[in-house]
Amino acid sequence: MHKEAAIREPLILGDDVTYSKISDDVLATIEGKTTKGWKILMTIAAIVGLWGVGNILYLIGTGIGTWGLNKTVGWAWDITNFVWWVGIGHAGTLISAVLLLFRQKWRMAINRPAEAMTIFAVFMAGLFPMIHMGRIWMAYWVLPLPNEFGPMWVNFNSPLLWDVFAISTYLSVSLVFWYIGLIPDFATIRDRAKSPVPKLMYSLLSFGWTGNAKAWQRFEEVSLVLAGLATPLVFSVHSIVSMDFATSVIPGWHTTIFPPYFVAGAVFSGFAMVQTLMIIVRKVMHLEKYVTIKHIEYMNIIIIVTGSIVGVAYLTELFISWYSGVEYESYAFINRFSGPYAWAYWCMMTCNVISPHLFWWKKLRTNLAFTFIMSIVVNIGMWFERFVIIVTSVHRDYLPSSWSMFYPTWVDIGVFIGTLGLFSVFYLLFLRYFPVLALNELKTILKSSGEKYKNMSDEDFKKLHPVKK
Amino acid sequence: MANSKKYWKGLEQLNNDPKFLESVNNEFPEELPIDKFLGDNETLENSSTSRRDFLKYLGFGVAAASLAACETPVTKAIPYITKPEEITPGKANYYASTYSDGNDFAPILVKTREGRPIHVTGNKESKLTKGAINARVAGAVLSLYDNNRYKNPMMGGNATDWKTIDAAIKKDLAAAKNVRVLTTSLISPSTRKAIESLGTKASTEEELATNKLNIVQLDEISYSGMLDANMASFGVRAIPTYNFAKAKTIVSVGADFMGNWLDTPMYLNDYAQTRKPDNDWMSKHFQFEANMSLSGTNADVRIPVKPSEYAAILANIYKQLGGSIDAPKTNYDAQIANAVKSLKAAKGASIVIAGNNDKDIQLIVNGINQILGNYGNTIDVNTVSKTKAGDDAKVEALIAEMNEGKVDVLAIYGVDPVFSLGEKFKAALGKVKSTISFATKANETSKACKYVCPDNHAFESWNDYNPVSNYYTIQQPTISPLFNTRQAQESCLVWAEKEDTSYYNFIRETWKNTFASELVLTPFNDFWNKAVHDGEIKMNVETNTVSFNGEALAGVKVNNKPFAGDFELEITQNAAVGAGAGADNPWLQETPDPITKITWDNYVTMNPAEMKERGYNTQLGQESPANMISVTANGVTIENMPVVAQPGQARGTIGIAVGYGKVVGNMTEPTGKNAYPLVGRSATGAAYYVGATIAEVSGTYPIAATQTHQTVMGRDSVVRETTLATYKHGNKDAYNPEHKLVTHEKGEFIKKNIKEFDLWKEHPVENIGHRWGMSIDMNTCIGCSACVTACISENNVPVVGKDEVRRGREMHWMRIDRYYSTDADIEDKSIAGYRKMEDPADNPQVVHQPMMCQHCNHAGCETVCPVAATTHSNEGLNMMAYNRCIGTRYCANNCAYKVRRFNWFNYIAYDKFTEVNPAQDDLGRMVLNPDVVVRARGVMEKCSMCVQRIQAGKLDAKKASTKVQDGAIQTACSGACPTNAITFGDLNDTESKINGDMNHDRAYRVIEEVGQQPNVYYLTKVRNLENNEA
Repeated sequence: MHKEAAIREPLILGDDVTYSKISDDVLATIEGKTTKGWKILMTIAAIVGLWGVGNILYLIGTGIGTWGLNKTVGWAWDITNFVWWVGIGHAGTLISAVLLLFRQKWRMAINRPAEAMTIFAVFMAGLFPMIHMGRIWMAYWVLPLPNEFGPMWVNFNSPLLWDVFAISTYLSVSLVFWYIGLIPDFATIRDRAKSPVPKLMYSLLSFGWTGNAKAWQRFEEVSLVLAGLATPLVFSVHSIVSMDFATSVIPGWHTTIFPPYFVAGAVFSGFAMVQTLMIIVRKVMHLEKYVTIKHIEYMNIIIIVTGSIVGVAYLTELFISWYSGVEYESYAFINRFSGPYAWAYWCMMTCNVISPHLFWWKKLRTNLAFTFIMSIVVNIGMWFERFVIIVTSVHRDYLPSSWSMFYPTWVDIGVFIGTLGLFSVFYLLFLRYFPVLALNELKTILKSSGEKYKNMSDEDFKKLHPVKK
Repeated sequence: MANSKKYWKGLEQLNNDPKFLESVNNEFPEELPIDKFLGDNETLENSSTSRRDFLKYLGFGVAAASLAACETPVTKAIPYITKPEEITPGKANYYASTYSDGNDFAPILVKTREGRPIHVTGNKESKLTKGAINARVAGAVLSLYDNNRYKNPMMGGNATDWKTIDAAIKKDLAAAKNVRVLTTSLISPSTRKAIESLGTKASTEEELATNKLNIVQLDEISYSGMLDANMASFGVRAIPTYNFAKAKTIVSVGADFMGNWLDTPMYLNDYAQTRKPDNDWMSKHFQFEANMSLSGTNADVRIPVKPSEYAAILANIYKQLGGSIDAPKTNYDAQIANAVKSLKAAKGASIVIAGNNDKDIQLIVNGINQILGNYGNTIDVNTVSKTKAGDDAKVEALIAEMNEGKVDVLAIYGVDPVFSLGEKFKAALGKVKSTISFATKANETSKACKYVCPDNHAFESWNDYNPVSNYYTIQQPTISPLFNTRQAQESCLVWAEKEDTSYYNFIRETWKNTFASELVLTPFNDFWNKAVHDGEIKMNVETNTVSFNGEALAGVKVNNKPFAGDFELEITQNAAVGAGAGADNPWLQETPDPITKITWDNYVTMNPAEMKERGYNTQLGQESPANMISVTANGVTIENMPVVAQPGQARGTIGIAVGYGKVVGNMTEPTGKNAYPLVGRSATGAAYYVGATIAEVSGTYPIAATQTHQTVMGRDSVVRETTLATYKHGNKDAYNPEHKLVTHEKGEFIKKNIKEFDLWKEHPVENIGHRWGMSIDMNTCIGCSACVTACISENNVPVVGKDEVRRGREMHWMRIDRYYSTDADIEDKSIAGYRKMEDPADNPQVVHQPMMCQHCNHAGCETVCPVAATTHSNEGLNMMAYNRCIGTRYCANNCAYKVRRFNWFNYIAYDKFTEVNPAQDDLGRMVLNPDVVVRARGVMEKCSMCVQRIQAGKLDAKKASTKVQDGAIQTACSGACPTNAITFGDLNDTESKINGDMNHDRAYRVIEEVGQQPNVYYLTKVRNLENNEA
């Protein structure tokens, strides 16, 4: 058994943690009764989600005019929300795939909830390109399906089409990856289940997992392969989303820096969202032993790094707009920070560029309350980033005669709030019925990174694990 | 048409056979054997249909019915049983006709499809207007299909039939001692004769002598003072005709001759001929005015002055030209001297006009033109215009007569005096024993009249006009009357108990007499048919020597005392709504004002600096409502008028448009507020410049403008303009420089034209087949917006109403961008510099730039559509397949020109648009062009360059086995343009006008450096200015 260097901080805290205690702790919510708190939260989330569904139905029934868009600003909250949710959907796969390849074991405590977040966020994200269509009932035309319309083929030049492929690929790979990881954990629940219905359900979900060595070996191999597949996707999805803008002719959109800038921004916002969720989950579900302050700190460090990349990107954009000497380009950026939407720009700058640097202080980045507030701030900032890019670029482009403003309607707001509600509904269901942490994976690091074992003297450890000669 | 024929079912009916008469009263002529059938048990039992069978049949029947119901039913498509000879389904017919509503006059061409008039353009063959129309004429066809029209004659507010109402009116007429007819200026000789026939019934000479019938003409916008001045100067109470084509210098003091003054369509084309910088000379246009008018925006030099100063300015001009008058000093010595210098240089080739309806001022104008020798050269008092002949003194006399109860019968034709003259007239109307209205739609006057004998719509009627001496036009019907209406003239003939009440025959008879001398050699039918075909006839004018009476000017005293009140108010007209004819026309209400770009409202215009002093909002925008004020003039107050900023408005003046606030038909809420009560009324002529006081009102008012940003922000690639001096200097780089980019080739830096850089492969449209394109001459485009309305009419552009326009969602495929110049330094590209550029100058120069889809060869919209709904045709058109569009709006975002329009709602069914969109009712839908698809909700649309017309033109050429001739295909906008500023054609045709335009030194493409390679070329605007002249 590999034993981690003592200098590294333990990833599982507590002297009483054993394999069975991990199972007990993680599965407590599944095996226990539905709590009052969950019911209250679920009710609120469901009401908000239904409100959103109602808004969407009204939108589809009446027309896109129920939003605040106009002849100049053809996209606003719809695509802002889309990019925001896609960005959030970045952290999960990044954690489970990229960190797996980099052998970052601390990922094991957070990869499951982060992946769940990813999948639900991508659901929400995928909703927006659908409902923003004027004729959603023709949405299937974006798929290159054989047809009898001539045949009419899709336009492979369009970044919007690339989006369709990128998002759907990302969603399916993420989903498979997430589910493969869930199989051994479902099997554990199945094995422990007492009543017949859950036993049946979980045995169906666990695909007959036996837990023998061969199965585990294959599991590891599949995980590695999928990680390899998912890693490029993490970078491609948001690069392609950014090409919706980068390939256009609109000053403020037409920028080659967008792909890396968007990916960094996505990781930035994704980790912030993981923080928001995990700080609540670890407290409410008593998982502090597994999701430690160290985990929080690691994620905060990633937030500093990606936040800095985003900051550099913002400044580069400004510099290049001035350096280019292009009339429209430089005005687009002058307008961003001094025009009618300057408040949104400075909100973005404060939230995304200035605030993450507070995490340079260890005291702050290990403070839960502060981290929680910061995670919200970052997500607000990232929402505004997308709003600033989309709206402040088109609202004043080439011909001043068409310059206009965008004002959201209650349907714009309702649909966005509604997706927050729907996301919460999915997430609450996940917390209640799915193993919240990858418990079988956690068990693999218990003895190498668990506090109890780390503090143990070498003799004691050898006694516990005698090496056979 | 009245039908007096009778048909019989058979001889029995004719002979009144008693048996037949009995059977008529029975519902069923023969008894049905129901009882017999049901009562006979045996038959029932033997019948093969048992209960079970019945149930089976019922089941099958229901199933079959449900299956049948799954198919979309075909509704209301009724084919011809006998096809009329001239109508070929799918093929348009054009009829030469005339538009005349008392305010506007234009010879037109009416396009009909399957017997429905659907589009109006100017009659390009017209010798009078050369085909010029304005936005109001272009939008007139919609008023035909209006459910607000009277559908029956009305008596005492109830629908009745013609027989009853005729009997009642004949009785009233017979009993009347005193018959008065209040009409618009009567330029139709036959109409005048028909109305006069009402008075011929006088039985004794005595009755005739007591003036039993009197026709009083009323111009809703009065030119009475000017007519009186001309009477004094020339002894002719008429408006002279102006030949702007010869005018090298034009000085207008408050006369908006391009928008609203007198016979605008007669001037526009001529004026445009003088605005071409490539000709030997270009006219110089000075405009002194208070409001920013359409003419002011096109003037080379515009001087904002107060209306109270107009007289003094003219007096100074007169004096400096050598006239003798006591001219008070003004603040505009330099500008006046400049204008006078230009006038002196163009003696006999200049025009001076003034907008005042004031006899004294018009006398000075006549004096100036006389000194300049313009009469007989640019101004013709021998060939006069008759379109405005109203006499305010006679109208006042009529009202007095009515008030005294002396008028027994008053018939009102073509005017709405309760709306325009106000309560005073309404009160007088109540004292008339019998009132008859010929209104086509319920208006305030017709509602106050005892009898309403609804006139046919002009497109349903024959008529003739004589707008200008010895020039006649014909108005021919293009559709049968839609409702139970009758032409007013025919009503007169019926009441006069003529034997033949056909007005058509009546006109022909009139013409036989009028043109007797012409008919010596030509048979009348040939003469008539040619007139109907051409729509007009021009005779030689006999030259009478008209002598100028300089004495008239002797007594004129000029002062420049400011008007009493806070502001001097100029009452004007909106380019689309006019004097009120467009008040209920959604197309026209939604056509933005050419200058303010505001739709669906009238408002107070004020100088922005003065607004800022008062703390009023000077910005336009969705959530930037206007402040409100109350305006009082002549003791009348109009409450809650929104006030909007008008750069160039003379300080100390405000402007308001009339024509709004008119309740028509069962309209619940009028659009805007009626400003007619503010007009100063007196027997010497209505005054449209009055002193006004204003009072602040709390609250704000939403304003719907299609353009909310006013300046071009120093963007030279969008609008290019220069002075004539620079242009004539000949260096293209000075006024229309090429876009060049530094590049690196073989180790050297070189500058290359932007056209040589291409991300894409050469588009295979150059020099192969057709390549359709357009050129727009910004010098001759005056911004009148006729093209905008014509485009709406041609392309079934939905009307979306005020609230949606305010939200920036108007659907116009074609718009006219209007930019004001700024006083800021456009080279200062700092934050503060850009801020300053947003503010228009105090007296800005104005540019009108028509903007529609640029049909880019490398279109941004085409690459981004995920489903390839918008693609490029091999003829250079950017095409839109509505059926394929899924509505992502990506194309609209990526359009650098922002010309794409999205169907935000289902405009043809959603209840928000029921009030505004004519396409929501069956009648309004008849105006739709069957060649153009009505777009569904959720799809993108945009200018197609009238692809339906291109296809038709190509087909015609193919059938004739020729090439498409240059000019044979006209888009709606190019066809409507009164100044021919828009040219459509084939860029690949080296002989075409557009090919020449494309290669012209003035030609540029908007934001060409973006590299989208548009197929629309603009010609740099050239102002006739010296380089140091402001």
